[in-house]
Amino acid sequence: MNFQSKIHSIEDALAAQEYFHSRKWTDGLPIIPPTVDLVQAHLEWAMLNPDSLIGVEPVRARPITAEKLAINSVMAGCLPMHFPLVVTAWTAMLQEEFLLHGATSSTGGCAILSVINGPTRKELGMDGTFNALGASDRATMVIGRAIRLALYNLMDVRPGEVDRSTLGHPGKISYCVAEDEENTGWLPLSVERGAPHSASAVTVMSAGSPRQLMNEWTTEPEQILETFIAEIKASMLHYSIWAGNFAIVVPPQLRAHFEKANWSKADIRQFVFERARVTRGDWASCGKGMVVDERGEEIFQALPTAEDLLVIAAGGPAGGFGAVIPPWFGWKSRAVTMAVGACVDCEA
Amino acid sequence: MSIQVFDPTYASSGTVFDLAPRLDGLRGKTVGLISNGKRGTVQFFSAMEKQLLRDFGAARVIIRTKGNYSAPMEPEILDEARSWDIAFTGVGD
Repeated sequence: MNFQSKIHSIEDALAAQEYFHSRKWTDGLPIIPPTVDLVQAHLEWAMLNPDSLIGVEPVRARPITAEKLAINSVMAGCLPMHFPLVVTAWTAMLQEEFLLHGATSSTGGCAILSVINGPTRKELGMDGTFNALGASDRATMVIGRAIRLALYNLMDVRPGEVDRSTLGHPGKISYCVAEDEENTGWLPLSVERGAPHSASAVTVMSAGSPRQLMNEWTTEPEQILETFIAEIKASMLHYSIWAGNFAIVVPPQLRAHFEKANWSKADIRQFVFERARVTRGDWASCGKGMVVDERGEEIFQALPTAEDLLVIAAGGPAGGFGAVIPPWFGWKSRAVTMAVGACVDCEA
Repeated sequence: MSIQVFDPTYASSGTVFDLAPRLDGLRGKTVGLISNGKRGTVQFFSAMEKQLLRDFGAARVIIRTKGNYSAPMEPEILDEARSWDIAFTGVGD
């Protein structure tokens, strides 16, 4: 393979840690030194050449090659078999509607959430059950980290450089979840969003931190959703009122009530779309009365359309919990779903 | 025995941009102000417009506002800017 990257000669893998840390090439955690053989194994697994173009970041017109993405994936701890997911996530992130530059440079401090669907989840040992949103398994952990490390090194998205986040959140270390397709009758998220049923796929979203909720005191789908909606409204009032992609994560204990009542994801999306809305005047209830002015009756909805709610089946078997994941900033960045192996610029 | 590792950072293609020719002053010039659309730019650029006309003798000040402050300016603004002598952009947060 014909590589273009500069090669550094380092004493050993331990020395590589300080070498990389001191150059701001890492997130502070240890890395796997990206040796030629490891990087080559990644590219061979994905059947990509070093100079294969993954995409071009639209704002800064920066081309992202497979070689550089593979180097960062190795560093993050990925195995070659994980690399196609990193490639797919980055391909999706480079689509214009995702607005990668805005999302990763904003003071708002969002992270890139990746949701994995399809057969690759089981092949890679992903687990969307216990601790689904927090290092539930090796594959989601390292894929999420690879996405972030590549932002550091390929787009200069380091704290205080391009990353201007005021606070950020822990998902910026790794934010990847596999949907628990085996334990639900619901359509996979990727299929709802247009990917082929048999394909593995990645959905990326510019996402705030998860807001956990609990409702173990009803079996009625409407009442359960009112709790999710209350959390969405709280995010709109406390953080950003603008409509965009919200995600909700629904674990098995709550899913059982929906499935027993024959509620599909589409039913949930429609219910939330119709009810998740606040008025400008509601800002007065949380210390933002100064910006209400004379438009207190103006209505703001959480979702531009019902299709913009991402419903994710994930979580451990016990507990009437759920989570709302808010968007970075309204509709500026739109979630993108892409099948693994899909060719973005190929003619149909 | 040492190990050989790749540099993980973006490698610039080395494209070099020339600086635009410097102006000798703003007197009689057309000055563009490109707002990113944030609320703070309204007052800031309004005051700047007055100052450019009053104190620096600019012939004209044109204010344009981007539709999305996280994205590049619209092509129409870029096209229009080609006819200006100078342009200012700013955050105005």
